[in-house]
Amino acid sequence: MSGHHISTDKTLLGVAGGLLVLTVLTVVVHYLHLPDPWSIIVAMGIATFKAMLVALFFMNLYWDKRFNLMLFGTSIVFLALLVGLTLLDTLFRVDVLPSF
Amino acid sequence: MANHSTSSHSRYLQHHFVDAEQQFDAAKMGMWVFLVTEILFFGGLFAAYIVYRLWYPELFVMASEELNTLWGGVNTVVLIGSSLTVAMAIKSAQLNQKRNIAINLGITLALAAIFMVIKYFEWTHKFHLGIFPGEFYAYEGIDHPKANVFFSLYYLMTGLHGLHVIIGIGLMIWLLVRSVKGHFDSEYYTPVEITGLYWHLVDIIWIFLFPLFYLID
Repeated sequence: MSGHHISTDKTLLGVAGGLLVLTVLTVVVHYLHLPDPWSIIVAMGIATFKAMLVALFFMNLYWDKRFNLMLFGTSIVFLALLVGLTLLDTLFRVDVLPSF
Repeated sequence: MANHSTSSHSRYLQHHFVDAEQQFDAAKMGMWVFLVTEILFFGGLFAAYIVYRLWYPELFVMASEELNTLWGGVNTVVLIGSSLTVAMAIKSAQLNQKRNIAINLGITLALAAIFMVIKYFEWTHKFHLGIFPGEFYAYEGIDHPKANVFFSLYYLMTGLHGLHVIIGIGLMIWLLVRSVKGHFDSEYYTPVEITGLYWHLVDIIWIFLFPLFYLID
């Protein structure tokens, strides 16, 4: 199986190091207590970037067949549909949960 | 039936595949399809989380104070480390370093166990305070009528994630036994590769759970 991409130690350790730095960063930003919408936006931005690092370099999507990347992308699209369509209901209710 | 593989590992090649390469690609694609269902499985809970956080933003700020940021952070680091060692195990297999496959899988197993031990202490500490999910909630420390909703989500999401870690521990034990028996090398390491994909997804889920539960202000 000579066709498979073999990651170097440098790449793997670099990605893990990046993930550790971003973990520390997200905790530091938490203690800065940013004004309201920015706290969650920054936290989710960092988490998404970390997830991308794992998916691209640990799960090898960067070098892999594009079909697997498409599968992964499809799940994100359908997740966005699920959340988006749900919020179209729940964000615009007068009574959030009647009799609850 | 033509056998296109000349390696000593043709014993792992099933007759309905053209060659080992096609078998590997099919297994990997199958795992990705499974991971898609996993993302949507967790996705339902993430959707519930988003709905309730938008309904009760002040509750999430208050209740999050009960979670220990230090232990959540330690567990994040532990899982990142275990993702690294799984990737190292796959690299070792590709380079035919059979001993390193087992060593890296062993470290992964130990880190997964550490994660669950920390999780155990986090949960039992809350049980001790009377923080149970749903109608069993009996804690007076949070002044909000819907405090139980936050912890129902907390127990469901970290619980489902923890279940995946436990299943991962079982898979790692299986891989470790097989690697010690010398089953894996550069010609055949499909089980290590696809279990690695599963393990990385479990890591990704935790990467989101950590800020969503522990880092709210």
